[in-house]
This record gives sequence, structure tokens and C-alpha cells, in this order.
Amino acid sequence: MEITMENIRNGFEEVGYISDPEVIVTVYLALKLQKPILIEGEPGVGKTELGKVLSQIFHTDLIRLQCYEGLDENKALYEWNYQKQLLKIQIMKETPSCDHVEDDLFSREYLLERPLLKAIQSEKKPVLLIDEVDKTDEEFEAFLFELLSDFQVSVPELGTLIAEKIPMVVLTSNNERELSDGLKRRCIYLFLDFPTVEREVAIIKAKVPEITDKLTRQIAKAVNLIRQNTEIKKKPSIAETLDWARALLTLNEDGLSEKVVKQTINILLKTKTDIESFNKQIGAAALDEFARS
Amino acid sequence: MDKTLEANIVRFTHLLRLTGIKVGSGEVIDALNALTFIDFSDREQFKIALRSILVKRKGERDIFDHTFDLYFAPLEERERQQIEHQMRQKQKQQQIEEAEQDLTFEEEKLELSEEEKYLYSQMDQEDKSKIKEYIKKAEEGKSRIWEPTVKSLIENVVKGALRKWLHSHQDQVDLKDRVSTGDEQLDYILEDLDHSAPSRDESLMYEDMQHIKDKDLPKANLLIRRLAKHLVTRISRRYKRSRRHQLLDLRRTIRDNIRYGGTMFKLKYRSKRIQKPKLILICDVSGSMARYASLVLQFIYGIHSVLGQIESFIFSDDLEKISHHFHPGSDFNQLMVDIMNESRIWGGGTRLHKSLSTLRTNYSTLLTSDAYIIILSDTKTEAIDDTLQELQAIKKSVKDILWLNTLPEQEWEKSKSTKTFQALIKMYPCNTLNDIEKITHSKIFN
Repeated sequence: MEITMENIRNGFEEVGYISDPEVIVTVYLALKLQKPILIEGEPGVGKTELGKVLSQIFHTDLIRLQCYEGLDENKALYEWNYQKQLLKIQIMKETPSCDHVEDDLFSREYLLERPLLKAIQSEKKPVLLIDEVDKTDEEFEAFLFELLSDFQVSVPELGTLIAEKIPMVVLTSNNERELSDGLKRRCIYLFLDFPTVEREVAIIKAKVPEITDKLTRQIAKAVNLIRQNTEIKKKPSIAETLDWARALLTLNEDGLSEKVVKQTINILLKTKTDIESFNKQIGAAALDEFARS
Repeated sequence: MDKTLEANIVRFTHLLRLTGIKVGSGEVIDALNALTFIDFSDREQFKIALRSILVKRKGERDIFDHTFDLYFAPLEERERQQIEHQMRQKQKQQQIEEAEQDLTFEEEKLELSEEEKYLYSQMDQEDKSKIKEYIKKAEEGKSRIWEPTVKSLIENVVKGALRKWLHSHQDQVDLKDRVSTGDEQLDYILEDLDHSAPSRDESLMYEDMQHIKDKDLPKANLLIRRLAKHLVTRISRRYKRSRRHQLLDLRRTIRDNIRYGGTMFKLKYRSKRIQKPKLILICDVSGSMARYASLVLQFIYGIHSVLGQIESFIFSDDLEKISHHFHPGSDFNQLMVDIMNESRIWGGGTRLHKSLSTLRTNYSTLLTSDAYIIILSDTKTEAIDDTLQELQAIKKSVKDILWLNTLPEQEWEKSKSTKTFQALIKMYPCNTLNDIEKITHSKIFN
């Protein structure tokens, strides 16, 4: 697919990813400039989804590196297949001429590719999703610099491996810690906020088409109000909005009511503290009234 | 690309740097490259393209948007900005000249800085009259013998009065005096930004916690919660990182590899247990520390909700333990009310030596070699020498003592207590939320 704004917009629409011009222009520029996209935002606003959607619309592989504390090069880039190397040594013990064993042992045959190397070696331009990069340590972040700016990695025994096809890289961060300036400089930045009521209406319609317009609007307004409350710590994600919509559909509700909000609020809010805060700060009756207004 | 557009983008990035947004040369080049791919006659597309390349923090987006709107404004709008800028400059000059006329002693101008004169011009009539009255009385009652020193004495008194007035009217006066960039358009845009830019969360970060207004407290509390979360992340990471230095577990390796005839196919490692440091927080809640205390307790509350191993105390005349108030799911506002209602010492005087002595006597089991003590206080206490002795005694039992000092750093040099304790204890400024952020990023527990 040719990279144009029009094609990206159409592609997003086809797979049901409702986005605004900011997302489209940023993705378009990242692809044109061959730069990674760094997406920040609250959990559940569709950061990871964007990576998945890109692989769908470009009909290519999604290579995902899920970051966590303590992630290192061995798990992210490559590892030597130690067992296979030992087996080779055992076999070669029986063979008298084994001059080249040492060279053989560090050939690609014995290399276990991890996501980053897989992305570099891929024959078809893949989407590399480095998810929740803020969970890694600062050293790992620095290790990513070479990959993200030059799309190459160094394996001491093999030398520098340069990407055959520059991957489309998407990094996501929940902003648990501030990322380094070095990493940010190498990326194009996109901040994804929770959707507006209008956009959320469009998302619900795209994902739960059976639901009535009236209920869709009420759900979007109610969720929007809950998210604005600063006392609620884990704000409802888009996925939770959709779950709520599906639940209300299953219950054959065609509109919100105080009773139904009380019965189903646990689909949106997942902790006891948040439910208590909701009851204290907003309350089912007020939410229902606001959503209906 | 059109050279004018190129120059304009470079100038715009220069302006962004002056507003505090970090823009590197690489990003400027990227921005110029990006323009070859977009339709820059489409204003929205043009703005998004520049923002996605030049801005890398959520908090800077509003400032960018505002700067963009001013810089790339239509011609009429730019002319309006220029006229307003000139009018403001003229008005300020006029106010300073009027102040000069008021502030004379025996028809001779008092030696005050431009900033001080401007400050005077911002006072209401009643406050101005008090200063004028004072000068007038000094003129009437002065002795000819002391004439040369009388004027400088009056100048010092006036300066003191202006400083005092500023302290209580900080919200009303904008003393930001930007150095000219040498580019008139940039100057008036910057001035316009000072007057009309949306307040970003970051501005709260630099405000003395004592002066944070009630209306900004919810925002400050959110920032504090974020900082607490960052600190907890750092603390846990520091220990997890040590897992990298794995040791080979020879016993388990041999046992597991017997099935392969003793060949070491599978290596087994010993991993270090993840430990988080034991923290003892001691927070000053004496009269002068009230506002800091409520914000810092919010910070402690944030840490408590994630990290269990904290013992928290408050002190003024004596020490009180408050850890039991911080249980999961507790509401912070209710918690503050409970602490304040239960406390016998909230808002009292400051007797740190007595409080530390109580800590040593009643809570000696907490003072172990793996514990860090964090004291939050402005160091203003009775019996400095006794306090120092107590600190010396406690320091021997614990891993380290860290002091978060709420006194502005520039005043440390003048404060005897700060200088005394600083000789023994590592001290970090903790006057603004930005200071707290720096602490969360520093490796203070190393």
C-alpha cells in the first residue's frame, strides 16, 4: 500500500480504528520519515491497538516486544543456542577434523532470534511494537538508541546487522517514568488522550453496531463524566466502555437508569476504592441524569 | 524548500526554546524534512506536523499550541500584538517614572532598581501613602550630622517594605523581566505568552509549596501522586536491577545435568531476592510547616499505597507515629482530618531534639542497619546542638539519614541550623514540587 494520508485514513476506517487527524498525520509522517512513533497516554486509550492496526492495514507481521522490569538484550535481541552448540561439540568429538568447529558454533544457525533481531532480519517490512517501554530500565532504553536511529544492531560474533527493510516501529508508554531525552529525540511523538464524547460514540457504533443511538450517546457521556473525576484512579478504558455497552445490550437495556448503573458500574470501575469514590463523588442517580440530559 | 519558510521554522524553534521546550538540531532538521511531505497550506496539518516532531511531553503541548498561534498569526493579528506590546512598554515606563517622582528624599531620587520602582507602582494607594509618609517624616526629623547615611537608611527601609509587600502579594505581581532577544517580534510574542499562556502543570512544579493556592491544590495533589509513583518505581527498579548479576547455582546445575552425563546443558542461577529499602519518614508539622506538611503527607500517602515498608511520624514539640492511618484504600482527605484531630502536636513549636530522643527511646527496634531515615523540615528548631547530638547517635544505628529541607536553597547559607546539620546529614532542597521530582530521579538511596 502506498503511504498517503488518504490510504492511512481509509485503512483505519476499514479495520474500525476511529482516529482523528492528529493520529493520521503523525503516523503518516513517521512512516514517511522512517522514524519510530512514541505513543504516550493513559492505559486503555488505544496505544497498543495502533501498532496492531498498522500491521493489519499494511498486511505485514506484527513483532511485539513486551517490556518489563529487568528485560535485557538476551531476551530482546538474541541469544546463542547453548544446547545446540553443546550437542555440536559432542558430535564433533567423534570426528577427527574439527578445525572449523569454533567458527561454525557462532554462525546464524546457532542464533536464537528475539523480537528486535527478528524485526531487523525480516524480509518483509514488519511492524515492531515495543510495548510499555517505560517499564524497562534506563540501560535498556539506551541500548535501543542504536536500533531506533540507525536500524542496526551489533552482535559481537557476527558484526553489525543492518535492517534489510526498515521496520515500522511503535513504542508505547504509560508514563510511569519519564523517558530519556535521547529516546524521545529519535521518535515522533503522539499523545493519545481519552476520546471525546463524539469520538467515543463513533467507536461504540463501529465495534457494537447492534446498540441503539440513544444508549450509545448516554454511555459515551457517562464514561466521559467518570473520567473527568480526579478521585477515580483507574479511569475506564475504551475497552471497558465497549464491555459496558455489550453488557447493557445483553441485558436488553435501551437506555441508562439509576438501577442499571448501580448493577453494572463494576464493569467500568475495577477497584473497591474507585467504586466508593464514584458513589461519593458522582453517584448512580446523578450519572444517569447527566447521561440522559 | 522555500528559504523564507525554512528561516521561519528555524526562528520558530528558537522561540520554542525560549519558552522552555527542549528542541534539538536533529528535530529542526526532521521538521524541515516533514514539511516536504505535507501540505503546509493546510494550517491544521502544518501545526500537527510541527507538534509531533518538536514536542515530546504532554505538558508542553498547550504552550506549543499557544506559541504556534501567536507566531503564525495572520498579519492583522501580528500588528495588533505589536501595538499592544508597545503600549505595555510605554505604560510600564510611565509607571516607573511616576514611582521615581514619589520616591525622593530631599528632592533626590532614592537609589532603587527598576524592578523595585515597578513594584512600588503596583501597590495600592494606601500602601504607597505609608511609604511616602515615612519618607516625609524622615525629611522633617533628620539631623544634619547624619545626613549622608540617612538617605541609604531610608532606601534600605523602603526596599524592605517593598520586599515584604511582594511576599504577601505575589499572586498579583508579575516581575518576569525578559532579556531582549534582539528580535522585536519574538520579544512581543514572549511577552504575550507571559500574559496569556495557559498555565501548564509544570508552573506549579516551580512554585514554593507554601504559596500554592487552594484552587491549585487538586492539581498539585495529582502531581504529587504521580511523583510518589515515580519514586516507588525507582526504588523497586534499583533492586530488581541487581538481579542481573546472577550467580551460578553449582549444586542445582550439577543435579539437573546428571541426566546429560554431566555435560552442562542447562545452567541454573541463583537470583537475588528483591528487597525494597526500609524507610522511616519524619515530617515536621510545626506552625511554619503547615502547607508543606499537608502536601508532603500526600506524597507519603502515595508512597504508602504502593510500598508497604514505611514507618511515618510527624513532629513538632514531640514525635507521633502516624503509620497506622495509611491503610490501603483510605481516603486522603479523611486521613488528614483523622491525623489532625488525633494529633496533640499539630501546628506546635519545633523541638526536634526531643522528637529524635523519643524516636530513639520508644522506637529503637525500627532503627536498623538497613533503614533510611528521611526528615522533612525547614531545620528551624530549638536546641541545635542537642539536635545534632541526637542525629549523631541515630546515624550510627541506621543506614543513612537524608534531610529534605523546605527552606529555599539560597537561604541555606544564612541559616545556622541548616549549616550545622548539613555538616552531618545529606541535605536536599524540598521547597517546590520540582524539588520533589528531582529527589525522585536522584539516586538518593544508593
